[in-house]
Amino acid sequence: MQPTPEVVLAVVFLPFVAAALTPAVFRVLGERTAYFAAATALVCFGLVTQLSLAGAHGTVSYEWIPSLGVSLAFYVDGLALLIAFLASGVGVLILTYSGGYMHGEPGQAKYYATLLAFLGSMLGVALASDLISLFVFWELTSLSSFLLIGHYTSESASKYAARKSMLITVSGGLFMLVGFLLLVWASGQALPESTYSLVVLLENADAIREALTASGLLVPALVLVGLGAATKSAQVPFHIWLPNAMEAPTPVSAFLHSATMVKAGVYLVGRLRPLFLSEEAPLLGEWTLLFAILGLATMTVAAILAVSSTDIKELLAYSTASHLGLIVASFGFANEYGAEAGAFHILNHASFKAALFLVAGIVAHEAGTRQISKLSGLRKHLPVTAAIATVASLSMAGIPPFNGFYSKELLFEAAWYAGKEIGGLGYLFPVVAVFGSVFTFLYSVKFASLFFGEENDNLGHVHSPPATMLVPPAILGLLVLGISASATLGLGPETPINAFVGHVYGSVSPGDPHGFSVHFPTELSPYAAMSAVTILVGAALFPFYDRLHDGINALLRGPVRANWWYDGAVEGLSATSVRTIPSVQNGLLRTYATWALASVTVLALGGYAAAGVSLPAFEGFAITLPIFLVLLVAVVGAVAVDIAPSHVAGVLTLSILGFMVAIFYILADAPDLALTQLVVETLVLVIFLLVLNRLPAFYGEVNRSRAARDAVLALAVGATVFVTVLVTTAASPAEPIAGFLAENAGVPAEHPPFFTNAGGGGNIVNVILVDFRAFDTMGEISVVAMTALAILTLIRMRERGETQ
Amino acid sequence: MSGRELDNRPYDYEGDRRTTVISRTVTRIVVPLILLTAVSLLLQGHNLPGGGFIGAVLTAAAFVLIYVIFGLEYVQTDVLRMSPDGDGHSPVGAYRWLFGGGLALAVLSGLTPILFGYEFLTQGVWFFKHVPLYEEFEVASAFFFDLGVYATVVGALLTVAAEVGTE
Repeated sequence: MQPTPEVVLAVVFLPFVAAALTPAVFRVLGERTAYFAAATALVCFGLVTQLSLAGAHGTVSYEWIPSLGVSLAFYVDGLALLIAFLASGVGVLILTYSGGYMHGEPGQAKYYATLLAFLGSMLGVALASDLISLFVFWELTSLSSFLLIGHYTSESASKYAARKSMLITVSGGLFMLVGFLLLVWASGQALPESTYSLVVLLENADAIREALTASGLLVPALVLVGLGAATKSAQVPFHIWLPNAMEAPTPVSAFLHSATMVKAGVYLVGRLRPLFLSEEAPLLGEWTLLFAILGLATMTVAAILAVSSTDIKELLAYSTASHLGLIVASFGFANEYGAEAGAFHILNHASFKAALFLVAGIVAHEAGTRQISKLSGLRKHLPVTAAIATVASLSMAGIPPFNGFYSKELLFEAAWYAGKEIGGLGYLFPVVAVFGSVFTFLYSVKFASLFFGEENDNLGHVHSPPATMLVPPAILGLLVLGISASATLGLGPETPINAFVGHVYGSVSPGDPHGFSVHFPTELSPYAAMSAVTILVGAALFPFYDRLHDGINALLRGPVRANWWYDGAVEGLSATSVRTIPSVQNGLLRTYATWALASVTVLALGGYAAAGVSLPAFEGFAITLPIFLVLLVAVVGAVAVDIAPSHVAGVLTLSILGFMVAIFYILADAPDLALTQLVVETLVLVIFLLVLNRLPAFYGEVNRSRAARDAVLALAVGATVFVTVLVTTAASPAEPIAGFLAENAGVPAEHPPFFTNAGGGGNIVNVILVDFRAFDTMGEISVVAMTALAILTLIRMRERGETQ
Repeated sequence: MSGRELDNRPYDYEGDRRTTVISRTVTRIVVPLILLTAVSLLLQGHNLPGGGFIGAVLTAAAFVLIYVIFGLEYVQTDVLRMSPDGDGHSPVGAYRWLFGGGLALAVLSGLTPILFGYEFLTQGVWFFKHVPLYEEFEVASAFFFDLGVYATVVGALLTVAAEVGTE
């Protein structure tokens, strides 16, 4: 069924409207704005549910920039609905939870407005089918993430984290844009006309791929788009921004940095998978080489780093990167198990990881610390939280019968078959998958163990959380149990969860997919053995957790850490720019003027040379004696300016030049120009004299080499202007506009008492200014007003000492 | 004595030695004439040389002439009848309103045709017959736009002159 256009638009834009209203709502409702925001998310969730229940599948398109073929288009299918469900559903829970968590915190109006804007952007990313729309929403999520990470604006750690995530994700998005443009270019080669539409690209995947391969752009396009996905989804080596992003309030970490925003990269990989991976794709094509290896590397490295963490949110952040790596690796494998694993794990990861983040928020809020070493035995004080944490941690560890086990089992299956069919080094895929999963098991069990054992003596009084903070993670915990039950019972492909995952699977795999179902392994297949090995080795290593933790931390020094490279690069760039500023921006007006004029000259003359413009032929002088005399005086005035001994003399001789130009206008029959020139010249002269009052009366010593440089520059600028005038006046269009203006400016011979089709004025210059070209004039007076404002601000700010 | 000290001392224009009696007297006579010319340039602009911009620059020139000859405070207290607020900036508030209002007038005069079904910035011309003295009188809607231009430019130039002059 086609999706209803109004519903799709409402889903995407309702949160933006609500975000705009938030400051006003906050004045009325105060802290209860959380429920206003949660209600907005709930409406979106309801609309997404309606789309899903109605079986909507198709495109909704509105014109945006028709001249470029860019549209505001949305595509509804399984994958889009999954991400939209996660964003709006987790959004409802997070915003409700924020009502309790953010109690008494500063900047709440900004917080809720940004969260809602993020929600809208994320829904836009999920549903957009136009590459440009997708890019815009994509960068909007990065921007809102920047604001939310930097929520505590006075703390330097927040600012560092916000800048870091912004630099990494936004620059990744720019690479992605270039990748998109390559795809659009390829579509122009393969199809009758180029398109920005993802749907058209996916429908013609084979032709696009052939066009890309033929021009050798397949790998560049893949790498560029992959960079966008990898930076957003925190893949190695871009994983470094995610742990810092934990500076944000915990609900933000749960929402943006575990369940939704970081899923955007994974979403992109899944979305483009059928485009780059045909049904007959080779087992080890470019796609698999890039994403399977990237994903497995991230999964392993981030899991090891999670074991090295000392803070519960840091642990969860690395674990998020690790699980995103798992999903990317799954999508990377060119077999159906990979597609199934990725599709299913997006859902599973969001369910258990959002629950765990909310649990971490409760622990930090109620126990007052996030240090792993200080937390233990929390079960006595937080019984419900402990139950949720246990269920979610076991799911994260991949222990049967929880849902995380089933998606990891599918990954093992995909890795095993990929390894088996490639043979030789291909077996590294299953081996690395198991190796990484052992660490996943270790940190998951560690997180659960915080709630058990002896209570730490250093722990003060632990409060119980308010209901608004407890219900959302409980719902997520129940969701984990529900998916687990559905999988363990081996329900068929028609049951709701399996049917839903089946749609997602259909979106990420080329060709016609079969239905989706999982069941508990009953025989010892190689991948069941891989799961068993993971759990047994993990259980055997767990007693040595602290030694592993210390050992990894001892190894993480200097260039081994990706952060070392990031900090070095950022500091190097800052130091370089600090060193460059004194030579480029030295505060002397003449330096700026020199650079600006020189570049204008070089660019303009270079442009003429590149365009092959030739000067018009010289046709001899045709000027009258009076004009010659006036111009002669002007030249004399110009020379006098150069040799004037003082500022005052210089300005006065300069105005000789100006007045001569005015007289030239009179002689050339342009009274309006002459009048304007006269009054402007007078005013400028007076203002100059006012300013000169503040300057030293005489020039300093003239440096010869500088004077020579200035003379050369002046000659070059003069030559440029001269050439420009010659070139621009040489062109003569067939029907010059002057004729039209002259005909329509005056009063028509026969005219009604009121008319609008002619200027009705005797002064054609003025009619042009206020009628034919009134829009230009409006622009000009806006510039005049802006200039006055700028001068006002500059001078006032200096007097008030507001400059830095 | 530096220029700033000269500007900041208690003002006494009779005792001001910076300008001569001749210049002050000439200014008194010339400024009304300049203003009259400026307004007539504004009004006749549609049919004869002139227009909002020229009129505005000329008006500003007249004010700048008073600034130069009599000083800023004279303009504020005696010409514009404003109470001095100590930092010499009080007229700038009025100039800001002038250029803001001028811009608003220009935009409004562009928007009004839309109400009557014409495109943005369409200018119309009315001819009124049997007007006493004139017999036939022409009113162009472009005049309101020109008035906006005039106010914007006067406000902006006076802002600049007052700010730079205070320095």
